[in-house]
Amino acid sequence: MREVVMECRNLWKIYGDIIAVKDVSLQIREGEIKIIFGPSGSGKTTLLRCLGLLTKPTKGEIFLRGECLTRPGIKLNKYRARIGFVFQHIWLFHHLTALQNVELGLRRVLKLPKDEARRRAMQALREVRMERWANHYPAQLSGGQQQRVGIARALAMDPEIILLDEPTSALDPELTGEVIDTLRDLAKEGRTMLIASHEMGFAREVADEMIFLDEGTIIERGPPEHFFTNPRTERARRFMARLIKQTMRER
Amino acid sequence: MNYIEKLIFILSGLPTTLSISILSFLLGFIIGLPLAFIRTYASRPLQIIVDLYEKVLRGIPEIVTMLFLYFGVGLVLGFSPFRNPFLAATVALGLRSGAHQSQIFRGAIRGVGGEQMVAAISLGLSKLQAIIYVIIPQTFIIAAPGLGSEYALLVKDSAYAFILGVLEIMKMTDIIRRTTYDVVFPYLTAAFIYIMLTFPIATYLDMWGSRRKRQLGL
Repeated sequence: MREVVMECRNLWKIYGDIIAVKDVSLQIREGEIKIIFGPSGSGKTTLLRCLGLLTKPTKGEIFLRGECLTRPGIKLNKYRARIGFVFQHIWLFHHLTALQNVELGLRRVLKLPKDEARRRAMQALREVRMERWANHYPAQLSGGQQQRVGIARALAMDPEIILLDEPTSALDPELTGEVIDTLRDLAKEGRTMLIASHEMGFAREVADEMIFLDEGTIIERGPPEHFFTNPRTERARRFMARLIKQTMRER
Repeated sequence: MNYIEKLIFILSGLPTTLSISILSFLLGFIIGLPLAFIRTYASRPLQIIVDLYEKVLRGIPEIVTMLFLYFGVGLVLGFSPFRNPFLAATVALGLRSGAHQSQIFRGAIRGVGGEQMVAAISLGLSKLQAIIYVIIPQTFIIAAPGLGSEYALLVKDSAYAFILGVLEIMKMTDIIRRTTYDVVFPYLTAAFIYIMLTFPIATYLDMWGSRRKRQLGL
């Protein structure tokens, strides 16, 4: 069995009297791709944010290669650098070009010399087929191009795992394809990824496991075929039916 | 004294007016920028202190702060660094400008948005690095028009320094009035000089900031 890259045990996140994440445990092994899906408000974003160390969980433990990241007093910066994060609303740095966006972490976190940082940033932009746009500002790029730069920004740091929070759901339908293609490339390279997504075709193609989240907790999990042929719970069955109908309509 | 002589005499106050304006702007910047970040990111008690500073300094007429620094501080403390009228005027303006600039920058930081901070943090940058490399550069662009107005305000309010006898434009104008009894030319000249000192810079910063904001989609 391949090594576990990231794991969370009995994770909870409570805001006031709203339980956003409820007792979630999961593991992602080297090279695995897991897809989280579920209705909006089901806790996908909060769960990913906890795993990305961007939100402090209320309870539970998170491990990166066996090292506990939820112990008190831990300095999170250097662990965040090892976990890539791609945001639903992209959030590129507006005042920096595509290349500078990708370089920032390489220069200031990994402290690479200028030339080396540039080389690696260009390499990452090439991987998402955005090298031609290296010197454009985010405002000059389409949503899909911006998101590819967002992916390159995470990728360039050579993270051990990449967490992607609905990377295509803020894009116009005609722009999701190019981002999905990029993600497919990453999957082929064997990147370890945890992706919140409702792109069922993509999920079916690349996912090792799909995790259905509702009301902050894991309702059902299994390989894609399980969900496409014969989901066990009523909630998952209804949600799958809705997603598939929606996909058909879009086509 | 002919008009040329009067003009040259009034203009001899220009370097002092500019020094007061620029130095008080810089002092305001040194105070205001950190205060804006404290007001945005620090703990509640610190935020309240900053808030208090802003409210108090914006609530006092400039002239009161100036006269207090010049006359009052010595009596209260037993010694005073502000017996120099130039220094008293500059520091008084700078303290208030700090309050103004804190507000200008705070608004700009809010305009940049918390998401930029989250995105920076996610790469492994520390909060301070995120502020330096991500937040501040965007803050300047958004704040530029406000900073232009603030600079113009300081140039105009530097005229108060004439009360303390600082030899700046207003004081020179007053001397001409008193010695020649001409009350038209000196004031019009002073007005024109002040407009030339304020209008171009404020307009330029306003245009630059707005254009840059549009380009970057801020």
